[in-house]
Amino acid sequence: MRYTDARLLDALASAYVLGTLEGGARRRFERLQHDRTDVRSLVAQWEQRLGQLALAVPVRRPSVDLWPAIAARTRPAAARQASASRWTGWLRPTGFALGGIAAGVVAASALFLSAPGLFISSDQLAMRSGERLPQSYVGVLADAQGQGRLLVSSLRHGKTLTLKVLGAAPIAPALAGDERLVLWALPADGAPFAMGTVPASGTQVSALPDTSEKLLSKVSRLIVTRERGATPSALGSDVVLSGSCAKLW
Amino acid sequence: MNRNILTSLQDLIAGAARGDHACFAQVYERTHLHLFGVAVRMLGNEQAAEDVLQEAYVSIWKNAGSYRSSVDGQEIQPITWLIAIVRNKALDALRSRTRRNAHEQPQQQTGDEDDAGLPQGTDTAPGALQLFEQAMQALRIEGCMAALDGSFRQSLALAYYQGLSHTEVAAQMNAPLGSVKAWIRRGLDKLRACLGAQGVAP
Repeated sequence: MRYTDARLLDALASAYVLGTLEGGARRRFERLQHDRTDVRSLVAQWEQRLGQLALAVPVRRPSVDLWPAIAARTRPAAARQASASRWTGWLRPTGFALGGIAAGVVAASALFLSAPGLFISSDQLAMRSGERLPQSYVGVLADAQGQGRLLVSSLRHGKTLTLKVLGAAPIAPALAGDERLVLWALPADGAPFAMGTVPASGTQVSALPDTSEKLLSKVSRLIVTRERGATPSALGSDVVLSGSCAKLW
Repeated sequence: MNRNILTSLQDLIAGAARGDHACFAQVYERTHLHLFGVAVRMLGNEQAAEDVLQEAYVSIWKNAGSYRSSVDGQEIQPITWLIAIVRNKALDALRSRTRRNAHEQPQQQTGDEDDAGLPQGTDTAPGALQLFEQAMQALRIEGCMAALDGSFRQSLALAYYQGLSHTEVAAQMNAPLGSVKAWIRRGLDKLRACLGAQGVAP
């Protein structure tokens, strides 16, 4: 295909932005954009034109879990990348032999099989033998009548949060369509932060942006409030449940 | 006032490009309702739209530095740049859904329009053509665009708001593929002319 014809390029740019340019032709055009500023410019102009059509689309509210999921993939990713590059930067000059690593893994595996106690802490051994619960952050949140209504738990070094609604009755019966129950952590020395939405009933497991050790080590109280925004940045005043956050170890 | 909002969204994207996550959070706060509306409209259900929006915002964070506020002296609104990212992700999801359906149901080729991988119409009211006409009115180009036959506008509306391919638009409108391609081509040309005459876009 000739990519010198200005009219052809403009037609391709409009079909690309509209979405009717498909398959191999779409991929070829994407590569062309990558290489040529004049083509990127044509695409930007069509995005500007067709973008006007989207302004008529009614707004919709996604679930409050969407932002935490996006934040978990953006904020910590930068930190992970930095540590990864430090790691490879350290490895390269030392010229580590892969054979040495393999031999080390074999030796460690043999040792692990013969003496697991060297690798597993006494706490973990106690947990496996059923004497102790795993190290976790837990909270039982109660309503105004002192009735325990929500069990919050997260393994100390894990990145998931489990919420279990206790009892059969809804936590907040008169919840309007756009209202949600949001769980907040109140650190002793910082601003409250939202940890996610509370399910209407049953158990919900959600991802945390970091380990609960990092997030909750200074949190002494947990509360649930009634909120309207998808991503409430400030704590609302309508507190439905509250309780302590305790370290289970 | 509207101008102010646009300018600051541009600053927030610039902040995100510098790695300022708080700016990125503000970009999300200001735009996610609108962009979610666009994604739901194209994909026809909220779960698929949330998946697409998540991919789109991760891409926005990674590529914030590539946003240009003007191209060849022409202003590019940040929201149209964001919309394009969301639409591209939604188109990818729609096309892979169509491929999956074709793979899973190789026998169903006989004009079964309900099952052709098109977005479900139940949750997507108002209709594509209605949205298109509303947009034309808001842009004050409805008179200019009225010169086009209704099928031109409808084919363009289906392709834009529902992300349908030429083949899918043809099936939906029960029209020959060649005609649909020509209608959309002419519709785009007319839209450019009308927007240009109104001074809305290049």
